[in-house]
Amino acid sequence: MGNSAKTTCVVATDVGGTCTDTIVFVPGEPLYLGKALSTPPNFAEGVINSICSAADSMNSSLANLLSSTSLFVHGSTVVDNTLLTREGACTGLITTEGFEDTLLITRGAYGRWGGLSEDGIKHPVATERAVPLVPGERIQGVPERVDYKGAALREIDLDATEEAVRYLIEEKGVEALAVCFLWSFYNPGHEQAVRQVIERVAPGTYVSLSSDIAPVPGEYERTSTTVINAYAGNIAADYLNNLQELLTGEGYDGPLLVMQGYGGLLPANEAAGRAVGMIECGPAAGVIGSRFLGQTMGDKDVIAADMGGTTFKVGVIQGGEFDYAREPMVDRFHYVAPKIEVVSIGAGGGSIVSLDPRSNVPSVGPRSAGARPGPICYGQGGEEPTLTDVMILVGYMNPENFLGGSIKLDFERTRAIFREKIAAPLGLDVEEAAMGIYRIAAAQITDLIHEITVERGLDPRDFVLHAFGGSCPLVCGIFGAELNVKRIVIPYTASVNCAFGLVSADIVHEYTVTKTLAVPSHVEEINAIFDPMIEQACTQLSEEGFDEACTAYDWSIDFRYGRQVHEVTTPVRAERPLNEAGLQALIDDFEALYERKYGKGSAYRAAGMEMTMFRLTARGLMKRPELDKLVLGDTNASGARIGRRPIFVEAAGELVESDIYDFELLQPGNEIIGPAVIHTPITTIVLQDKQTGHLDEYRNMVIEFDCGGRKK
Amino acid sequence: MNVRISASLVVNDMGQIACMDCGHEFGPQGKPWKEAAQIDEAPLKGSGGHPYSNASNILLRRFYCPGCAKLIDTETALHGDPFLNDIVKL
Amino acid sequence: MSAVDPITFSIIRHRLYRVIDEAVITLKHVSGSAITNEGHDLMVSLYRADGSLLMGGVGFLHHLTSAAEACKAIIRRFEGRINEGDVFLTNCPYTAALHTSDVYLVAPIHYEGKLVAWSACFVHVYDIGAMVPGGFSPDSRDIFTEGFSSPGLKLVDRGEMNTDIMDTLLNMVRAPEMVALDLSSMIAANNVARERMVALVEKYGPVSVDQACQSLVDQSEQSFRDRLCELPDGRWESRQYFDIEDETYRVLLAMTKNKDTLTFDFTGSSEQSKYGINCAYWASWGGFFAPLFPLLCYDITWNDGVLRPISMIAPEGTIVNCTRPAPISLATVGAIQSVNNAACICISKMLSASEKYAKEATAVWHGSHFAIFMFGQNQKNQEAIGIMTETFGGAGGGRSFADGVDVGGEIPNPIGRMANVETTESHFPVRYLFRRATSDSGGAGKYRGGTSLEYAIQQHDSPDGGIHYVVSGKGTKFSMSDGLGGGHPGAPCNFRWVHNNEAALEGKNINPFANSAEEMTGEQESISWGVFPLMDRDVLYVRSDGGGGYGDPIERDPANTARDVREGAVSEMVARRIYGVVLDDSGAVDETASEEARAVIRNERLGRVEAAK
Repeated sequence: MGNSAKTTCVVATDVGGTCTDTIVFVPGEPLYLGKALSTPPNFAEGVINSICSAADSMNSSLANLLSSTSLFVHGSTVVDNTLLTREGACTGLITTEGFEDTLLITRGAYGRWGGLSEDGIKHPVATERAVPLVPGERIQGVPERVDYKGAALREIDLDATEEAVRYLIEEKGVEALAVCFLWSFYNPGHEQAVRQVIERVAPGTYVSLSSDIAPVPGEYERTSTTVINAYAGNIAADYLNNLQELLTGEGYDGPLLVMQGYGGLLPANEAAGRAVGMIECGPAAGVIGSRFLGQTMGDKDVIAADMGGTTFKVGVIQGGEFDYAREPMVDRFHYVAPKIEVVSIGAGGGSIVSLDPRSNVPSVGPRSAGARPGPICYGQGGEEPTLTDVMILVGYMNPENFLGGSIKLDFERTRAIFREKIAAPLGLDVEEAAMGIYRIAAAQITDLIHEITVERGLDPRDFVLHAFGGSCPLVCGIFGAELNVKRIVIPYTASVNCAFGLVSADIVHEYTVTKTLAVPSHVEEINAIFDPMIEQACTQLSEEGFDEACTAYDWSIDFRYGRQVHEVTTPVRAERPLNEAGLQALIDDFEALYERKYGKGSAYRAAGMEMTMFRLTARGLMKRPELDKLVLGDTNASGARIGRRPIFVEAAGELVESDIYDFELLQPGNEIIGPAVIHTPITTIVLQDKQTGHLDEYRNMVIEFDCGGRKK
Repeated sequence: MNVRISASLVVNDMGQIACMDCGHEFGPQGKPWKEAAQIDEAPLKGSGGHPYSNASNILLRRFYCPGCAKLIDTETALHGDPFLNDIVKL
Repeated sequence: MSAVDPITFSIIRHRLYRVIDEAVITLKHVSGSAITNEGHDLMVSLYRADGSLLMGGVGFLHHLTSAAEACKAIIRRFEGRINEGDVFLTNCPYTAALHTSDVYLVAPIHYEGKLVAWSACFVHVYDIGAMVPGGFSPDSRDIFTEGFSSPGLKLVDRGEMNTDIMDTLLNMVRAPEMVALDLSSMIAANNVARERMVALVEKYGPVSVDQACQSLVDQSEQSFRDRLCELPDGRWESRQYFDIEDETYRVLLAMTKNKDTLTFDFTGSSEQSKYGINCAYWASWGGFFAPLFPLLCYDITWNDGVLRPISMIAPEGTIVNCTRPAPISLATVGAIQSVNNAACICISKMLSASEKYAKEATAVWHGSHFAIFMFGQNQKNQEAIGIMTETFGGAGGGRSFADGVDVGGEIPNPIGRMANVETTESHFPVRYLFRRATSDSGGAGKYRGGTSLEYAIQQHDSPDGGIHYVVSGKGTKFSMSDGLGGGHPGAPCNFRWVHNNEAALEGKNINPFANSAEEMTGEQESISWGVFPLMDRDVLYVRSDGGGGYGDPIERDPANTARDVREGAVSEMVARRIYGVVLDDSGAVDETASEEARAVIRNERLGRVEAAK
């Protein structure tokens, strides 16, 4: 970095479960990366370490880097961690009288089986609900009632409210209060009255109202969301304040923007009031990063697959857009907030390979050896074979040169244990058994992705596959081929993809109004809903310093058929204000979307249609980093070839002597014909037979299927 | 060695059904044991809180260990219906 | 037959699960109805070419075996006329189905012209043309008034809809468009199952897939027989009572385990009823498999292999094997629940007799499976027919290591759930007064039964001044959720019609926001069976039954009872009287007084009351 007086750097730091990653973007220079271990519960420490690491790679210092930074973008697991460790505030809950148990009874069995695997669900005697964040003794009902139209049938009893508040705070030592009344999203007056009582009786208490946090129908999920927000609210706010101070102390004087689970950024002061929005923002950032990369490469339909040590995560981007999760959960708690759908299964490098004791049938996962003891080959005491161990046995990983030689892998011990525990009982030799296990893992992932795309009415053959994480590039050649995806991309930024996503995100405010309107309705009614939302959004974005040219407003309406439960968010493509023609086009769009997602003949039109929710997404457009294109050289990759060894080739069904390459020695434009293995500093890329990999101008590895390799 | 035959009974070395807690014997294994228990038969209606109040003439039979008063088993019955007998073969 | 290699087997097995998952997704997508999407009242499974169960999905488990019988009945009836692209329908309870509302669509799967498998699914259709909308028909006294019923017909012939049949069927039901949607969703689910199954056979070859399927069944059989051998031999009895109007019915079960076989003998059960709560043969057969799968085979694939070691004795003409034309429309909330419960207890008593498996035993969950079914015009002037989903709320049974889960569902439908109050209030013209867990409803025990739900509703904004409902209440006079190992049974159900309208006419002040049954104004009439109006200011109060308890209540950790009292699950009176737990003014356990209370209880049990004093 040349001139430190220029304040043009963008720094993005993402706190993950294990590592805290940083990307520094300096115009006209390559991306700089930083990495440090995450440091729960004092995450800010890891953040600073990670920025230091990036500064190191720039031959700069923390203070130097931060004082020349114009924007700091951040994603953190602080809220997820608060829930996981149960270290949030002592929280109380105020509900409509008569419905005090809504949170605890979780719509019956829903909270008992929610979040369990199929095996868990089939074993009900062994199942329990999660211990609630608010126990029954800290829940108080107060007299009030609003009906399904938003009409107040019974005014709130303020004396009883004050009594309830005093009881919770004085008798029960509550530090934070959640308030959720029936139908409050239509009529928030009673909840707001409770807030006034709390401010008068116990000023300084952290308060979350369901009509602020999750103004949507469904009192169980709404209550749960509000409780989560109250429970983690103070910790999230303190964390962000503390981080801001630390950064300021090091000379940073720009804004702190915080990633949300829906894939947009919020200024820290706003994010602090909506802790629930930060849940799972890391995976969301990953999808955003994938979308940006896809846009750069001209691909609008992307399956983003991330396979690390314990889980396999998939996000789907279609036409540059993504779905929000319909029934999101965090740590077995249901909540409702816009969150990019990222589906995960317990399959990663650390997944344990086992044989069913009765039938001898092998399976991979869902148990994981985690970071400790880890795979056998790491030599940290692991005694159970994992998928990573299998990768060595099929020749994909080089025991002598793992992660650039930083760790020596114990090949012989891995082989011996795998033989004893897996291969011998199966009556196979080690390589045969290892190849078989590898095929099982690939098949499970194929099945998962197939199911996810079917659920959305999509065809995987229309998609490009992005493979992230330490383990994905080892397996994607097989499942990508079986799913028949267009091509596979292993992004150069794969190891810091979430941080990359932060850099490519916009400031996004989500507004929703819940209201049921029949179809057809007068366009004036619809405009009357959107106009104040847009006005509010304009004010907010302008306060945040965005010129009108740098803003964008996407509006959409959720439709459903009168007798069916599926709601489809339908983007409004018309100009504002909506006119009759625009409304008709919108209805047509809904019908087309419905049939695409739910199948031909799935619509029951006779019952009519209705609009149930009105959404506005207001974006403050951030300046995108311009990725520098490198010059493409010739295709000859022989300069990067570092040897040959036998590797598993699926088409051959056996180990075949193949070329091994060093990614660091490859030049943009180089082409490698499979079967082959390419070692990178962070992972290993496997090319199967009839697959060709080439390094593009952004140093992404792009795998194409040869003619005949891809069926159509 | 005692062999478990229910949530609260075992068969002991002597081949006798016995209380898991105190060892009180209920007779030879493979035979009905309930006659050897301390039996309480009372309307279900009075056996719990308010929600039991609409039970009709149904009885709650409670089988106690005469040795330690442990509640070994329960069953509901209409007057005169036979005991439910469980036989475990060892 | 030589076996497929274990690697390929593992892959094919995983893929078969996904075939079912994807078919279930399709069914939910196309149907879009609340009962399939919210209540998960559906099932999709795969069957082998001979109609035997290959792989069952998670849904209402009674249906796994009945749908197998449906496949076999179709095979028998249509022998020689089963072609690629056909879809068959049956909903006759005397053939295979549980009741007429549960319609099975079964479809053969061919590969290169050869029959290789069947797929089957069911949903509870919106209406079937019975006397009462929705299909639960308490006034029927024979099957002829319980709606459309077919022992087998070909709905789709080689991919072509047989429109004559479809139109005839739709001509006999209310809201035919909704029923058409139910049927098309099942056709779509069968189509997806076929496409995915054919793709599987294409990739791995018909021989490998067939071998893998055979192994899957054989492995389940072997694993299940091995498990049975680990359990002691013996004979366990259970008995269920239930009441309809003035009648009392018994379901008696003696379960005998001999080596690796299990026999369910229902001899002695009541004669068939004039009310539609009877089970036909296949309903009873499915009725005990529903708890058997999750209790004994939680880690074994649910298929025909599990069925092979089992036999059933169900005398003809009884409530567990009624003879045509006995009415049957309420079987699924009627006798089948008693079969579930009786089997749950016999199986759990057998598990309790094993050191290794004692932790798998459970008292009965949600014994009565009470159902309230609503019909009428809603506030949007639409016809609204549907179940009150609190039916799926349930209550867990106590276990050897933990309390039953409060309002925790039921065993036969592992992924049921109930709707939000706000959802129900937007579909039906009703307003809830309260909905909560019921104090003292869980059966007492060392580990108590889960608490049940209580709720009350009244009409709100109804264009007709109200709505009607069907009550198929059982378990109001008797407890149906038996305890285990000394645990008490859960509290009975209760349904009350609160006559506020009459009270208002008498000039009484009606409390529109009563927060409990006690706060209600009008006279409270206990009801349990039939069709009733919910008009104007009248209230329907419903309390479901609590889960059964496990073990001796006075062995319960007093701290847990103190918590129960604090949170309202148990009253102070019951804590003292049943649990022998005395609390001090702060709500904490008074150790000395509690020890004394428990000593008194012990003395009372042994008739030494005087001696203690």
